[in-house]
Amino acid sequence: MLIQVLLIFGFCFAIWITWKRYGQNAISLKEAILWSILWLGGVSVTLIPKITERLALLFGVGRGVDLILYLAVAIQFFLIFKLFVNNEKLERILTKIVQDGALTGSSQSPKNNTSLTDLDKK
Amino acid sequence: MKVIGIIPAYNEGEKALATAKACLEYVDYIILVDDGSNKDIAQEESQNITYLRHSINRGQGAALRTGTTAALNMGADIIVHLDADGQHDPAQIPELLKPLVDNEIDVVFGSRFMGIEPQGMPKSRRILLWCGRWFNTFAQGIPRTVTDPQSGFRAIRATIADQINFKQDRMAHASEILRLVTRSNLKWQEVPVRVFYTEESLKKGQKNLDALKIAWQLFIGAFTR
Repeated sequence: MLIQVLLIFGFCFAIWITWKRYGQNAISLKEAILWSILWLGGVSVTLIPKITERLALLFGVGRGVDLILYLAVAIQFFLIFKLFVNNEKLERILTKIVQDGALTGSSQSPKNNTSLTDLDKK
Repeated sequence: MKVIGIIPAYNEGEKALATAKACLEYVDYIILVDDGSNKDIAQEESQNITYLRHSINRGQGAALRTGTTAALNMGADIIVHLDADGQHDPAQIPELLKPLVDNEIDVVFGSRFMGIEPQGMPKSRRILLWCGRWFNTFAQGIPRTVTDPQSGFRAIRATIADQINFKQDRMAHASEILRLVTRSNLKWQEVPVRVFYTEESLKKGQKNLDALKIAWQLFIGAFTR
């Protein structure tokens, strides 16, 4: 079916991007392997859809599609949580830079200072 | 003994300087940290007041950390944290210092719930702080004996200040400091303090809904290294 061909192309492209990002040192080897397993899982399910039905039975879920949806929601929650944690790390780095500026006296007064709000307007 | 007071201020205008001047009767120096106010806070030439400025707003916790580092660099023996909006009564600073000087206590927290009635505190705030006390006990392991879950009026012995390595930039720092101190080997004590809530401070200060933000910040903070 056409949808299967498109999905397999999509997953292969995702695997290629994953390893390209690994080559650029943007992600670690562990992350590259984990993402590859996820995409390969997608390829397997596309080629043999019955896998999801077997897994669904194993987990006590009615249909294979339901299992995929439940997993997708769980993964999305995890990724959003990870984004919050990463955001907090960035906030702390930003605070450290601002504190160092304050302690060395290099912070500007508001008259000379471009605020983040001003940058937003630009 | 060199006592340095730290006052974080955000858009406080003249008020922060007035609080700083009122404190100078009880401390040797004041470090006024302007936490990225939109307009410069009022300043006055004084040998006993040091002004620091965050280029952008990073929160009260961050400003207190900046002030604490500066106080340690200035050779403080005792560091006092207090609010800029006049909620804390500077005349109570000696009460905070007494256990540090007399009893070898490391950290003294001012408590609003140890007998001195907080003036102008709304009932909703009182209920929320009561809930905060339970939250601190169950979610953070802070002893139930701590009467004020969100005290911002405290005195710290400088020699142990770097052991209180708090990371929260915003309002959650107060709970984090309580957790770090009460769950360590440090000697701590609460003393009753007088707090004034004015219409202005209530308008500008913490809102009741901020309690959810604090809980969320503490939750995310627990997973951030």
